[in-house]
Parts: sequence; C-alpha cells; structure tokens
Amino acid sequence: MTSGSALPTDSDLQTHGFENSPTSRVNLKLETRNSKLETRNLKLETAFTVELRGIRKTFDHFVAVDRLSLTIREGSVYGLLGPNGAGKTSTIRMMIGITMPDEGDVRLFGQPFHREQLSRIGYLPEERGLYKRMKVLDHLIFLGRLRNLSEQEARKRSLDWCERLQIADWENKKVEELSKGMQQKIQFIATLLHDPALVIMDEPFSGLDPANAVMLKDVLIKLKKAGKTILFSTHRMDQVERLCESICLIDHGRAVLEGDLKKIKASYGKNHVQMQYEGDPHLEDCELIESFNNYGNYVEARLKPGADPQALLRMTAERARISRFELLEPSLEEIFIDQVRKHA
Amino acid sequence: MHNVWILLKREYLERVRSRSFIVFTLLMPAFMAGSVLIPAKIAEMSSGGKTNIVIVANDAELATAVGHELSTAKQESELGTDAANLPQRTYTVEVDTDTSDAERDRLTQQLGEGKITGFLWLTNDALADRKVQYSTKEAGDFERPRELRNAIRTAVTKQQLAQKGMSEADVESLLQPIVVKTVRPEKGRKGASSTEIFITAFAMVVLLYAVVMIYGMAVMRSVIEEKNTRILEVLLSSVTAKELLAGKILGVGAVGLTQILVWVTCASLFSAPGLMFSGSGVHLPMLSMLAFAIFFLLGYLLYSAMYAAIGSMVNTDQEAQQMQWPAMIPIILAVFLMNAVIQHPNAPLSFWLSMVPFFAPILMLVRVLIEPPPLWQIGLCIALMVVTIFALLNIASRIYRVGILMYGKRPTLPELRRWLKYAG
Repeated sequence: MTSGSALPTDSDLQTHGFENSPTSRVNLKLETRNSKLETRNLKLETAFTVELRGIRKTFDHFVAVDRLSLTIREGSVYGLLGPNGAGKTSTIRMMIGITMPDEGDVRLFGQPFHREQLSRIGYLPEERGLYKRMKVLDHLIFLGRLRNLSEQEARKRSLDWCERLQIADWENKKVEELSKGMQQKIQFIATLLHDPALVIMDEPFSGLDPANAVMLKDVLIKLKKAGKTILFSTHRMDQVERLCESICLIDHGRAVLEGDLKKIKASYGKNHVQMQYEGDPHLEDCELIESFNNYGNYVEARLKPGADPQALLRMTAERARISRFELLEPSLEEIFIDQVRKHA
Repeated sequence: MHNVWILLKREYLERVRSRSFIVFTLLMPAFMAGSVLIPAKIAEMSSGGKTNIVIVANDAELATAVGHELSTAKQESELGTDAANLPQRTYTVEVDTDTSDAERDRLTQQLGEGKITGFLWLTNDALADRKVQYSTKEAGDFERPRELRNAIRTAVTKQQLAQKGMSEADVESLLQPIVVKTVRPEKGRKGASSTEIFITAFAMVVLLYAVVMIYGMAVMRSVIEEKNTRILEVLLSSVTAKELLAGKILGVGAVGLTQILVWVTCASLFSAPGLMFSGSGVHLPMLSMLAFAIFFLLGYLLYSAMYAAIGSMVNTDQEAQQMQWPAMIPIILAVFLMNAVIQHPNAPLSFWLSMVPFFAPILMLVRVLIEPPPLWQIGLCIALMVVTIFALLNIASRIYRVGILMYGKRPTLPELRRWLKYAG
C-alpha cells in the first residue's frame, strides 16, 4: 500500500454525500442498496470496528486533522503513530465524540457514530486523572456507572480487577494516598471495567515503570486473544512496532502511511544489513552502502537503493571472515522519517 | 439524564461527606447562636454591676428628681417593641451641690480611681444653655446618654409644670410616653412590625448573597480541580460536556440547599421564645420563605453558570481570582443598591433595578419581603431570569466544552468568541 491511499478518493466522498442528503425515494433506494452491499462486504471481508472517512478539524486557523481516513479491522491491534502535535489525540477525540469533526464522518462497529456506542469503548486518554479525594472502590464504581454498569455489577468487577492487579488492599484508600503506579492501574481498570469491544489508549506507556508496562502489555495481549480491538496512539514507535498489526502514520494532521504493518515493511524491502566479522571488511569505499555504523567486529549498514545485498556479501567475504550476515527490514521509525521527508 | 444523575450524586455525596462541609455547617449555627447569646449575656452581666453617678447641681431638689427618674424610669425601646426584655440598669445616685472647680477636680480624680461611674454637671448655667456635661470613662456606652437625657428632660419638665401649678397626677398623665408601632397588615395574621420585616429581609439577603457566592465559587473551584487532576477527558469519553456541567451545578446546588436547610432548622430552634435578641423575632411567613427559595435557586443557577465558564477558562485558583470580576461585580452592586430599594420599594427606579436579572436575586427578593410588588412584576422578573439563565447556561456550556480541554494560556476575548462558534 502506498502513502497516497490514506486520502479519501472522490468516490468515497460522493458516497458519503448521498447517505447524508435529505431523504427522497431515490435516496432511500440507494441506501437499501448500500446496506445490502455492506452486508455482503461484512460476509466477504472482516468487519471494521472503526472507519474514519475524510475527517477534518480546524481550530482557528490551525488544521489539527486534515481529511484523514483510516479503517481498523475487528480484533486487530492498530497503531496511530506520529510525533507530538501531529493530530493523534484530536483524531481520537473525534472518533469517540468528545469533539465533532468539521468535515467527514465517523463510523463505529459498522454504523454511523452515535453516543450509545460509547458504552462499548474503553478510552484511556493521554491526559488522565482521578478525583484525588475519592476512595478507590467508590471511584471505580462511579466510572463504571457512567459506562452503563449497574451498581452491583460495577462493584463486583472492580473488586475482581483489583484482585487481578494486586491492589485489593487499597480499595478503601483515597486515591491521593496511592503511588503513581497504583493510580495508573486504577486508570486501566476504569478503562476496561465495562469489558469494551474497542479499547483506545493514548500514550499508554508514558510515565509507566517497567513492571507496570509489562503488566499492561500482558493485559492487552489477553484482550487481543479475547477478540477485542485495540487502538494505540503513541510517538514511541519502537514500543508499538512489536504489538501492532496495522498502523497509520500521521504528520501535520495528514495520514502519510496507512495499512498492514508487514506489507508496509515488505514494500520497503530488506535494505538493512547486520554483519559480524573478523578482520577488516573495508566498508569505507564500498559503493553499495549508503551509511554504516561500525562497532569493531560488528557493523550495521544501510544499503543504497537498488544495491544487491549478495554483492555486498561476496565483496566483504573476500576481505574478512564473516560469522553472521543478516538482512533486515527498516524500523518503523526509519520508515516514518523517510515518509515525512517525502511529504515535506 | 441518567448520566446527570450519577454525576450529581457523586458531586453531592463527596461534598456532604467531606469534613469541611460538616464542620462549616455545624459551626455556622454555633457562631450565629454565639453572636446572639454572647452580647445578651454581656449586657446582662454589665447591668448587674452597680452604676454610681454623682449629680452636681445648684438645685438639690432637681438633682434628686433626676436621680429618681433614672432609677424608676421604664426604659422604652426605640424599636417600639416590648421593653421588658431589655436589661434594667440599677443606679445609685449621689447629689452634690458644690459646683466649684475644686469639686470638679475631686470628682474627676474619683472617676479616675474607679470609685464612681460618672458625674453629671447639672448646674443652672448648664441647664440655661441646655447643654449638660456627663463625664465618664465608658465613652462607648450609647445607651447611657439617652437614659440621662430622658431623665433630665422628664425631671425638668415635671418641675416646671409643677411650678406652673399643675397637680402631680396631671403631670404624670401628661408625660405618659406614646409609642408608635409600624405594622404591615397581612391576611389572617397579626401584623408584624416594620423593624422585624427589615431585620428579616436583611438577614435573608445576606444569607442569599453569601450562599450564592460560596457555592458559585465552589462550582468554579471544582471545575478548576477537575482540569488540574486531568480527569475531564476520562469523563468526556462517556458523558457530554453539557451533562457534566448540569451534574456539577445541580450537585453543588443541592449541597447548598442542604446547608441552608440545616441552618434554617437551627435558626427556628433558636428563635424559640425568650432566646431571640431584643425580642425582635425573625419574621418568616411562608411567602417570604417561598420567595427566598425561588430567588436562591435562580440566583444560584445564574451565577454558578458564570462561575463554571470562568473556571473552565483558567488553570489555577490565582488566575480565577483575577477573572472572577464579571461574576462578582453585579451581585456586589446589587447589595449596594439594596438600601435604596428597601427605602422606596415601589419607586420606578426600584422596579427597573429589580428587573435586571443579575440584580433580581437580591433586589426583587428585598421588594417581595418589604412590600410585595404586584404579581405580574414578580412573574416578569422570574421569566426574565429564567431566559437569562438558559442563555447563560448555553454560553457557559460552550465555553466549558472547549475550555476544559484547553490547558495553558488563558483565552483572549476574540478567542473566546471563536470558542462559542465551535461545533461540538
């Protein structure tokens, strides 16, 4: 998939225009046809939990999100990536109705956005907090109640989760008495209490100590196995690279790259070489290599576009003893930097 | 509505359970009771002490008469209410006919040593000038000069009338005091005096002003706290900004009502017979209570909407203090204007001022309490307030909706105008 595919095509916008136009007999017919098409699509392909179609949001003269489209398959782990201020949080806020897009539309669980869908979504915002003076259990029940759980159900689930995350002793303490890490755990419980089908986490690992980060990762993997859809938003690409199946790279409010992570990487080809050697391979004057980083008897090198790695292997094997030679895909970070440079 | 209820309940319970609420709610009646009972106690104690007065006069007979008046005269309350409750002072009067300067010095010295409470310089010259000097150390006692004045006037009048040949009985009946008592007739009820009405109106307005300010600011502080704890976005993923605002304003308002209810209950216990200050009972007919309840609720909604909008624009309490003048000035102005409205409740100016929704909670309430205006005026005033409240809530929720997600710089006025236009 190429970067251009993230932008909505003309036909996309037209379809959306028809759906929202005032009712008439013609439109009604069209809609029936559309819905039939949709049902067929559902059968043929995997269902989309989230579909954004050309959404746009401006604040004053600043364009926060610019005609962004993306689709998130049901049961997948999706990464919304980009530097700080790229428009990730604005995109998520529109996805769950905290703000409304100026243009474009949002579809959740195969239907246009409506507020009742929120009870199926768990959202951990980047700016997260708790009422400091509330007791932990009361707080969890309160948040659970807002997610349409009954008082008893919210209490039962809160107690279960506290047990699971080993904070059961703290249920009746006030939030302000808890350590930062424990407060984070409360946040995760609050996000997952109502067993949401879609979990959205904005910078979930920021400010987490390693132990809690591992705990969160394990919880998320369990959720994925249970068939939940998970959306990550982060600027730490290395963390998400291992977890996500699909990604959307955002820069300046635009999607610069969207789709299956493996395919994206494959389209870049394996242009990185890691090599372990004895002797001196003399890479300085090699015309196949764009750049390299030499550690003495270990080197990481980036090939020039179109260069044949086999030729590099033959050349270096003549000069030094090679004990390991590995071709690698570029890291997500490199792909991102490359894309941003292209679009700049 | 379901969400508003959950938010309201949390806001209410967390506040009512807090230690500061319990302490403040219980301390206030104690303070009020104290401010009523302690002065009464002090007055009682001071009146228990004997008052030694030396009356220096050329005419011993007159001096004796003044002393007699002082110790027997019924004290009339200027309030025109039952004077029996006032503490009666007991006087020991000594008559001194030595009007020399040496005697004056001697008395001054005695005064300094605390042997006498004061001395009255009632010489013939002073009487001719109609200016009598009373020397004492208790310069702060405002009651005493009045008592002395009355005693002297009565004694002098009696003496002169007697000299003109009037019988003692005639003089007595002539000097019977006449008390004018102002009453407001009310259906099926004994009239209440204007003083009672005034005191009640004043107390109610002060209470309303205090509670509207306290709880308006509580709404503001609570919005700032939510911004600072960063919980808003967590909440906004399940409720709308409007629901959040409604839950907060209603929840805090319910706390205010609870507090007033506790206080009113305490006050009605304290105003039980014999405990009220100076016998001027707080006068609370049902209509006044109803008016208070209505204007408290409307006033609270109006001002808390403004405070919520201000709270959402700022990040700290300090910033809020600089920004809260738009909400403070109208209500303070209303309190300043209150006096004029009390004196002429039905003047055209009072009518127009009380129609301004920002002043109405204070000024219309005062009018209703002092001299109920025609019903159409009350109705119009309430209608204007309701319209204003809806408009303000609409504006406030728009500012709130954008403001709560904004951290950092305070918005400028043009920015604020653009906030109002944002779509959701």
